[in-house]
Amino acid sequence: MRNRIRVNVVSALTLILFVIVFVVPFLLVLVNAVKDRQESSQLNLALPTSFHLVENLREVFQARNYMLVTAMVNSTILTVASVTGMVIVAAMVGFVLQRRASRINGFVNAAVLMGLIVPPAVVPTIWVLQSLGLFKTLPGLILVEITFGISFCVLLFRAFMATVPRELDEAAIIDGCGPLRLFFQVILPLLKPTVVTVIVVQSVAVFNDFVHPLYFLPGEENATVQLTLYNFMSQYSTQWNLLFMNILLITIPPLIVFLFFNRQIVAGMTSGAVKG
Amino acid sequence: MAFSRRSLLMGAGSAVPVIAITGCGGSGGGGGGTVTFLVDNNPNNIAASESLIAAFNESQTDYEFTMETRPGGTEGDNLVKTRLSTQDMPDAFSYNSGSLFQAIRPVQNLLDLSDQPWVDRLAESFPDSVSVDGKVYGVPHGGSNSGGVWYHKPTYEELGLEVPLTWDDFIANAEAAKSAGKHGVIQSYGETYTSQFLVLADFHNVATANPDFAEQYTANEVGFADDPTAFRSFEHVEQITKEGLVNEDYVSTTLEQALAYLATGEGAHYPFFASGISEIEANHPDQLEDVGFFALPGDDAATNGLTVWLPNGIYIPGTAENPEAAKAFLAFVASAEGLAAMAEGAQPTGPYMLTDVPLPDDVPTAIRELQTYFDTEGATTPALEFVSPVKGPNLENILIELGTGSIDAKTAAQRYDQDVEKQAQQLGLEGW
Repeated sequence: MRNRIRVNVVSALTLILFVIVFVVPFLLVLVNAVKDRQESSQLNLALPTSFHLVENLREVFQARNYMLVTAMVNSTILTVASVTGMVIVAAMVGFVLQRRASRINGFVNAAVLMGLIVPPAVVPTIWVLQSLGLFKTLPGLILVEITFGISFCVLLFRAFMATVPRELDEAAIIDGCGPLRLFFQVILPLLKPTVVTVIVVQSVAVFNDFVHPLYFLPGEENATVQLTLYNFMSQYSTQWNLLFMNILLITIPPLIVFLFFNRQIVAGMTSGAVKG
Repeated sequence: MAFSRRSLLMGAGSAVPVIAITGCGGSGGGGGGTVTFLVDNNPNNIAASESLIAAFNESQTDYEFTMETRPGGTEGDNLVKTRLSTQDMPDAFSYNSGSLFQAIRPVQNLLDLSDQPWVDRLAESFPDSVSVDGKVYGVPHGGSNSGGVWYHKPTYEELGLEVPLTWDDFIANAEAAKSAGKHGVIQSYGETYTSQFLVLADFHNVATANPDFAEQYTANEVGFADDPTAFRSFEHVEQITKEGLVNEDYVSTTLEQALAYLATGEGAHYPFFASGISEIEANHPDQLEDVGFFALPGDDAATNGLTVWLPNGIYIPGTAENPEAAKAFLAFVASAEGLAAMAEGAQPTGPYMLTDVPLPDDVPTAIRELQTYFDTEGATTPALEFVSPVKGPNLENILIELGTGSIDAKTAAQRYDQDVEKQAQQLGLEGW
């Protein structure tokens, strides 16, 4: 009896915490996104006295010559391309690093750790991009994002590779499997839990990235979604209703992705947790 | 197995063309017949710049200007410095005048504009803030701004108060408002920079008591802790919170909430920029004529005057691809038509920095009344940040500590003098 009460208290507390941490901020966004500017400047949770959903939507979309639409396209390309790059390259590095002992392993490990520790320097990076002719281009920014994410991914993949039995590789090689086929058809499918983890973590990170697009991809036609927030928010003045509407709009794409992949994500996380 | 291979091929197949397409699209920017004007993302600046660019494009056929925006504040400072040092700055850009202008190395990075015809028409107080060694590098971007105190006119009428000319009168007015059940002085530490106005807008009083303060301050001969008038402004911050004249929630109040208190008459005074008028206009259009603005009073009624924030400058980087286009654009910005076009987008927040262009007729009364200060000789002083490069980054934090009672005025002034020291050493100034 006492046990059951304690369980109920704990789950009630969890629920309250969940509401405070997740639901209240979302409600604040939702409620303020449909208010007019005067009302939203009060910045409270009160229900709107008049609804301005359509006007705010239109204004957010039309701002700065439909910048939001360009930004959505750019952000989608950026996220998909850089996460794809990260998964493929990091999985390959993790595979080789864990399976093949060689003299350069120590150096590669040090480089991976360095990627986590050394802070990025903006101006020299721009010089490199300029000399490669990649500055102010999406491929340039995609490479930058891959670089910033890859260390973390390599660590994940290498740790997980240790749990994949070596006998599988040997069996495949004996059956006449080449190195590329071995990786893509035998190893990569087994790495699925880690792949899912990397996709989730990194696509959120890349999609929400503000600083790198600001410096490495300047120009109105190159905007990404996080930069559109600055259409409505500035040092001395903020249009809260439009800002919240914008936040709401750019939260929707990741939300849809999560809804679709929810099952795989949870499965991937848990299977990774048990094996790793 | 078969399934996973197909999905993999599909994945790889779709990724490649995507990268190829964006490769073409991305590299197309820059060059050509269009010229870009970089402006900070303040909604008023954007609105003003949009109509300015439209008017300029219409007035001539040689060049086509477009606008690009950047964030303000520290992020904007970093972005401007980054783009200058990577030679990627658009051909015309708007940036602070005064000490921040000095920090972007004008001599190396910017085009000398001293030979432009509009230089002779600049108001006396402006050129120094965009000049190095007597060479002018920028044109004023719109109207000036001022620091002072907003007040609620109906409250003043109701209680029979008059605009104060000395600090003691101001405190008396605030106390009268408090006994009438209103906030005497509104403070909004939720927006940290708003804590600085009682100190920064007090500079006119400091400068009238000691006309050489800015020079001596730059040379490390005086500080806020040892100049009696300058120290008074730190005491003011302490006084209003200690005597309970401020709103109860001042620690977390935001700028929008503070202006709401003011416009609705819940509070009597709010020390802030005159540019707050555009927020009031947007959020409380019906109360626009209920608010007034006066200069922050000092000890002496005879020397009452206004501390003025000069407008941003518009500059041309030395690496500009099309300097002639940019020069034509800057000349338009300094012309009466250019200023009128900007005023159509967003109304100016104070008098212009060009001697021959008056304010438009439809600006709110509170702003039009500022002209009185500008017309009186010796009643305006540029803020300290425009006459001395020395400004510590932590003033707002120190003043919040002072205002919340964590430290006393003496400690706060001393801490600010220490804070300034690091910045002055970084700039390599003599005497530090």
